[in-house]
Amino acid sequence: MNRIIPLPDKRNALVNSLLLALLMISTLTSLSTGTVQVSLADTLAALLGQADPMTDFVINELRLNRVVAGLLCGAALALAGCLMQTLARNRLATPGIIGIDNAATAFAVASVVGIGLSLAPSAMALAGAATATALAFGLAGAKGTRGYRFIVAGIGIGAIAAAITQVMLSRVAIDDANAAYPWTVGSLNARNPESVKVLAAGLALGYLVLMAITRALNTLQFADAVAIALGTRLKATRILGLGLSVLLTGLAVSVCGPVGLVSLLAPELARALSRPGKIPLTASALAGASFLVVADLLGRSLFSPLEVPAGIISAIVGSPYLLWILLRPTPRSLT
Amino acid sequence: MSRPATVALNVLQRCFTILVLAGLSSGAVTADTRSLDTAFGPLEISGQPKRIVTLYEGALDTALAVGAHTVGAVITRGGNHVADYIKPAAGNINIVGTPGETNIEAVLAAQPDLILAAPRTSEQQYRLLSRLAPVVVPDIPMFEADTWKRETRLFARAMGRADQAEQVIEQVEARIAEVASLVRERIPADQRNATLIRWMPQGPLVMAEGLFSAAIIQATGFRPNSKGLIKPGRPHSEPLSLENLSGLDQNWMFLATLNADGDKALAAARKSPAFARLNAVQANQVIAVSGQLWTSASGPLAALAILDDIEAAVLALQP
Amino acid sequence: MNALSANRVLASRELLPQLLVAGIFLLLVILASLLLGAGPISAHVSLETLTGSTHPDAWFVISELRFPRTVIAVVTGLALGLAGALLQSMTRNPLAEPGLLGVSAGSGFAVALAILLGASTATLTTVVAQLGALAGCGLVIAATRVQGLGNDPVRLVLAGATLSGLLLALTSMLMLIDQRAADEIRFWITGSVAGKPLAVLATTLPFIGMALMLVLAVAKPLAAMSLGEKAAVGLGHHPGRIRLMVTLAVALLVGSATALAGPLIFVGLVVPFITRAIAGPDIRRTLWLCLPVGPAVVLGADVVSRLVAAPAEMPLGVVTALIGAPVLLAIVRAGRMPSL
Repeated sequence: MNRIIPLPDKRNALVNSLLLALLMISTLTSLSTGTVQVSLADTLAALLGQADPMTDFVINELRLNRVVAGLLCGAALALAGCLMQTLARNRLATPGIIGIDNAATAFAVASVVGIGLSLAPSAMALAGAATATALAFGLAGAKGTRGYRFIVAGIGIGAIAAAITQVMLSRVAIDDANAAYPWTVGSLNARNPESVKVLAAGLALGYLVLMAITRALNTLQFADAVAIALGTRLKATRILGLGLSVLLTGLAVSVCGPVGLVSLLAPELARALSRPGKIPLTASALAGASFLVVADLLGRSLFSPLEVPAGIISAIVGSPYLLWILLRPTPRSLT
Repeated sequence: MSRPATVALNVLQRCFTILVLAGLSSGAVTADTRSLDTAFGPLEISGQPKRIVTLYEGALDTALAVGAHTVGAVITRGGNHVADYIKPAAGNINIVGTPGETNIEAVLAAQPDLILAAPRTSEQQYRLLSRLAPVVVPDIPMFEADTWKRETRLFARAMGRADQAEQVIEQVEARIAEVASLVRERIPADQRNATLIRWMPQGPLVMAEGLFSAAIIQATGFRPNSKGLIKPGRPHSEPLSLENLSGLDQNWMFLATLNADGDKALAAARKSPAFARLNAVQANQVIAVSGQLWTSASGPLAALAILDDIEAAVLALQP
Repeated sequence: MNALSANRVLASRELLPQLLVAGIFLLLVILASLLLGAGPISAHVSLETLTGSTHPDAWFVISELRFPRTVIAVVTGLALGLAGALLQSMTRNPLAEPGLLGVSAGSGFAVALAILLGASTATLTTVVAQLGALAGCGLVIAATRVQGLGNDPVRLVLAGATLSGLLLALTSMLMLIDQRAADEIRFWITGSVAGKPLAVLATTLPFIGMALMLVLAVAKPLAAMSLGEKAAVGLGHHPGRIRLMVTLAVALLVGSATALAGPLIFVGLVVPFITRAIAGPDIRRTLWLCLPVGPAVVLGADVVSRLVAAPAEMPLGVVTALIGAPVLLAIVRAGRMPSL
C-alpha cells in the first residue's frame, strides 16, 4: 500500500467514529421514518423527552424498542462473525454460513410452538447455537475450526435445522404457522422484550470480555507457534472466543431470527476499512448494528404497510456480495 | 363582509356546533355509560365512538352491521384486502395491517376513539394499543355455537349500539329460521350430514364443528361432523392425506379454499380422483363457497351471506 | 479401458449382481409404497387386494392414489440420481448436487414467479421449470469455469448455497407481496409427489427421454474425462462438447424432476454417494446403478413421509433433507473430498 498509514490507533479511531456516525444517522432515520412521518428535530426532541405526547409515544414506545433491538442484534451477530472468522482463520466461517443461526432458530421455534423442552426462547436459541457449533466441530474432526470441512459440515447442519423448523411449523395450525413465518426468515417484528434485555446484558458482557482478550485474539492471526511464543494461551483463548460467539449468536437469534449474513458482511466491511493486523471488533459491531437497522428500515418501508422481514432484505443484499467473494478468480485468503 | 362580522359569525357557528354535539352526546351518555368485560379486565366506555378501528374480521363485520363509522381494518386472512362479501359495505377502507400483525402507527394515523381487537391479542400489543384509544379484546370462549352472538353484543355495546346489534341478530335469526324451514322441506332428516372442508394445495383441511360457519350450518338443520380429526382447541385439522378423504364422506360437503373463490376450489378438487368418487360429489351435493367468508369471517353480515349461500344451494336441488 | 462398451460394463461380473440386488431392493420399496399409506387402508388389506380379493376402497386407494405417486416418485428419483452422478463426475466434485448448487432453486423460483403471474400448480407448465433449471445449470457451469473454483469443492458448494439462499429470499418476497399465491407457492417449494395425476408425466417424459439419450452418448467420453482432459482429447473426445451435453442432460433431468415433485434437495447427493460406495468411481457403472437406487431413495422417502405424520403427510422435501444432510456430513467426514 502506497498510502501513508496514519498512526495505528488513530486510523482505527477514525474508522470507529465514522461508523459510529453512520450508525447514529441510520438510527435517527429509522426512528423518524414510518407510517407517521416525524421530522428529525422532533425525533431528537422526543429522545430528549421534550416532544408532545403523540410524538413521544411513536418514537419512544413504538420505534425505539424495535430500533434498539435491531441495533443490538446486528452488533451481536457481527461480533460473533468477526470472532469466529478469527478463530477459524477463515473469513467464510461465520455463524450464518455454518448454520448456527438456523439451529438456534429451530430450537427457539420448538419453544414457541411448544414441542419438547419449553424453556424461554433465549435459552432454547442458545442451546441450539451450542449444539450446532459442537456438531460442526465434532464432525469436522480433530482439525478444529480450520479448513473447509467445518464449513461444509455447517451447511449440512443448517439444512437439517431448517428442515426441522419446517416440520414443526407444519404441525401447528396454519394461521399460527403463517404468523410465525416472518420470524423464521429473520424479522424484528415479533421480538420478545425479555429476550431483548437478555441480549443487551449478554452483548455488554461479551464486549467487555472481548476487549480484555483483544491482545490474545490478535496473536491468533499468526501461526500457532508464533502465538504461543507471544505468550497466548491458545486453547483457553479459542474456547473462550468460541463460547462467546455461540452466546452472542444464540441471544441475537432469539430476538431477530436467522439474519445470518450480517455476521459475514459487517466484519468484511470493518476489515476493509480498518488497519490490517488487528481484529476490528468494535468496527464490526458498529457496522453490523447499522446494517441491521438499515435492513429493517428498508423492509418496513419498501412495501408499506406490508413488511418484508429484515432477513429477506439482508439475504437479497448480502448474497450477491458473498457470491462475488466466492466467484472472484483470485480470492483473497480463503483459509 | 367585515372582519369583526366574520369573527362573530364564526363564534356563533362554533357555539351552535358545540350545542348540537353536546345534545347528541349527552343523550348517549345518559343512555349508556357502560362497563365491558374484556380479556384484560373491565373497561369503561361512554358515548358513541365515531372513529373505530377493527383489528379482527368479526369486529369489522359487527361495526358495519350496526352502522358504526370505521376508519381502519386489517385484511382478511388469505387475501390482500377485506373479504369480498364485506367489500360493498366497507368500501375502500383504510388497511392498518394483517391479522397476524398490526401496524400500530397506521392505527395511530387513523386517530381512532375505539379499537376492537381479536380474541388472541397479546398483552404487549394490548398495552401499546390502549395508549391510543380504549381497546376491546373479547374474553369469550372460541369455537362455540353462540360465540359470534356474544362477540357481536360485546363489540356493539362498546360502540354504543347495543339496540342495533339486537335488531341485526334478530334479523339473522329470522333468516336462519327461513333457511331452516327450507332445509326441512327439501332435505330428508337422515340426509343432512355435512362436512366443511378447506381445500389446500397440501391436502384437505376439515374445519371444526364449533367454527362460525359450521355453527350457522348446524342452525339451519345440517349436521356438520369433523370425524374426530381435529385436536381440541384447533379451528381445523392438519392437511390430511388424500387417502383419508373417503372417511370424511357425508351427504353434503361445503368446500372452500382460503384463496381463490369457491368455483376455483371446486375445479381444483375435481381433478383429484379421490375427490371425484365421494358420494357427496356423485350426488352433486358439493357446495363451493368462498373460504374468506366461510373459514375466516364471522359476525352478522357474514352469517347473512353464508345463509344466502346455503339457501341458493338448497334451492338449486331438484324438488 | 476406452474399448469397454456400456454392455460389457453391464455384463462384467461384478456389476450384474450389484445391479440385481439394487433392483430387488427397488421392487421391495415399490411394494411397500403400494401397501403403506397415511389412510385407513392397512398393509394387510392392501396385500389381499393386490393378490386378487375384491375390496373396492382399497383398490381405489392403491390404483388411483398410491400407484400414481409411486410412478412419479420413481421417475423423479431416476432423474435426480442421474443428474447428481453426471454433475459430480463432470465437476469432479462429490458435493456437486443440483439442489445444493442452486439448480433446483432456479427452477423453483421460476415456478414461483409463474404461479404469481397466474399459473397454478395444476396447469403448471413443465417448460417453466425446465427453463429455470437450465438457467441455474448455466450459472453453475459458468461458476465452475471461473479460475480456481472448479478445483475447490467447498467454494462451489458455498456459492451454490448462497445462490439458493438468494433465490429463496426472492421467492419469499413474492409470497409476501401476494398472499393469495403464498399457499400454493409454499406447498410447491417444499416438494411433494402426492395428489398429482399421472398425466403430468406426459409433458416430462419426452424431456427425460432426450436426457437419457444424451447420457448414453456421453457416458463413455465422460469416463475418459475422469482420466484427465488431456487423456480424453488423446482418445479423440472434445471436452467442450462433452460439457455442453452433460449440462444439457442435467438441466433436462432436474427441470423434469422439479416439475414433477418440486425442488427436492440432497437426492442428487445421496444417490451417487450410495452407488459410488457400491460400484466404485467409474461413471458408467455409477450411472447404471443410479437407475434402481435413485427411485428407491425418493420412493423410500415418500413412504416415510406418509407414515410419520398420519393422518397428515410430511412434506417430501423435508424428508429428503433430513436423509440427505447426514450424508453430506458423512462425505465431509470421510475426507478425500477434493478428488473424485
